[in-house]
Amino acid sequence: MAEALVVRNLSKRFGGLRAVADLSFSVKEGETLALIGPNGAGKSTSFNLITGYHRPDAGSVFAFGRELVGLPPYDICALGLARTFQVGRPFGTMTVLANVMTGALLRNKKLHVARARAREALEFVGLAARENTKAHDLTTIDERRLELARALATEPRLLLLDEVMAGLNPSEMDQAVGLVGQLSKRGLSIVIVEHVMRAITAVAHHIVVLDHGQQIAEGTPNDVLQNEEVIRAYLGTGYAHHTTSPDAQC
Amino acid sequence: MRSSFAIDIFIRVLLFAFIGVAWNLLGGYAKQLSLGHAAYFGLGAYTSTILLIRFGVSPWIGILAGGVVAMLASLPIGALCFRLRGPYFAISTIAVAQVLMLLFLKFRDFAWGAEGTTLPNLGNSPWMMQFSAKAGYYYIALAMLALGLAVTYLIERSWMGYYLVAVGEDESAAEAIGVNAPRIKRNIYMISAFLTAMAGTFYIQYIYFIDPNTAFSFNVSVEAALVSIVGGIGTLWGPVVGAVLLEPTSALLQSWLGSSHGGVQVTVYAVILITVILWRPTGLLGVLTDAYERIVNAFPARTREAPLDG
Repeated sequence: MAEALVVRNLSKRFGGLRAVADLSFSVKEGETLALIGPNGAGKSTSFNLITGYHRPDAGSVFAFGRELVGLPPYDICALGLARTFQVGRPFGTMTVLANVMTGALLRNKKLHVARARAREALEFVGLAARENTKAHDLTTIDERRLELARALATEPRLLLLDEVMAGLNPSEMDQAVGLVGQLSKRGLSIVIVEHVMRAITAVAHHIVVLDHGQQIAEGTPNDVLQNEEVIRAYLGTGYAHHTTSPDAQC
Repeated sequence: MRSSFAIDIFIRVLLFAFIGVAWNLLGGYAKQLSLGHAAYFGLGAYTSTILLIRFGVSPWIGILAGGVVAMLASLPIGALCFRLRGPYFAISTIAVAQVLMLLFLKFRDFAWGAEGTTLPNLGNSPWMMQFSAKAGYYYIALAMLALGLAVTYLIERSWMGYYLVAVGEDESAAEAIGVNAPRIKRNIYMISAFLTAMAGTFYIQYIYFIDPNTAFSFNVSVEAALVSIVGGIGTLWGPVVGAVLLEPTSALLQSWLGSSHGGVQVTVYAVILITVILWRPTGLLGVLTDAYERIVNAFPARTREAPLDG
């Protein structure tokens, strides 16, 4: 399989803080990769480096064979990479439908085409009934749905999801896991940052573990979750004995 | 005399509604709060006046030439000012307008420096945008406002409207879904500058006099923003509502209080503005839409979050 995303030796410092150090990983087309690690490990910074919000000090990012470093976020999105933000960032005064249409307009500037495309995305995330609600009136979970629908409306080939499941209750999380699974089945490549281990093991084909900006482990979910260093740095020593616990999270 | 005063107020209402509409494209929809639109008002005014007096070119051509000059000027000015966000952007636009005013104060040979100049009185010559009756100016102002509203209407109902509001709401989030924020800001700034320059040409033709303090007046920048903010920022009719309220108020206060108690009219005007802005930050159009929605949604009554002051 071809590589959707290749990250090579990516590094970023903020003043004295080493946010990301020499990070390398790759995502095959159609694969779902989870980036995990404690708070401050550099997961969101990695997203910002990949999607053009920060410029790396060193290293390179290739998506579908094109170098992304130096491109602005909107060009990266046009190449087929869509991201969500950790804190939902809806366009508050716009309706839900208008929010998603704004994403859909990337591929077609005709409003009626964008509207149809946006409705499909809203249908998919289960927000179709709220299309006329002003975005700032949404609940947190609906805000997440909107964030996902808006990203999907740009018709990405690679989706970067930044903690879309944080704060969801177990049944909402099952829905979210189901959505990510469906997207993956459609052939979308996905990079997901998440703390909820249950969700990660359900969707990820591959896991990269970060700590202090460095990659400390990589592999299939089973391999990684048995890894001594991962347990010490992130999961906690109790985790090895409770791998069946559904709500283990950091 | 009395009707002349009334029609003068009408013309001012239309003119400032038009300037507000031009400002609103950038300041209202894309939320880039410029306080330097006098720069384009002045460039339009000087371009057409120089063309008229030095080269005998009709202001009808001058008004378009002024628009083009303003549009081109907005490119480097935008490249500079859009590096800054929020209040810093606003301050930088003020500075640009002030710098232009100072430049024109120095252009003594070409642009008459600080003394300014009166326009040649050609009597009633519509081809030179001069009319013996004020009605002529009234119709031009009305036509310009119609043009501004039409441009806004078309933009609002196209992909550009969505992109502008998205940039105004959250520039980073907009870029994440493919909105080229620098480009759309540049483009809307050019359109806004063009329209504002048209107002500058018209105004100088109307008052028959130009000097840097008139053409680059900070008042123009402030009024452009105020009529939009008071009327309803980022809405099609907001600047019109704002101008209808503010311009007659300002003119009447001036004529009632200006002569007897100098300065009082400005204070009263300021108090009115502060009241409106504190009372309804979404502008008067927001009040009307809310009232409308309340009537429409009267049954069942919508529960809203209680305001802090109960």
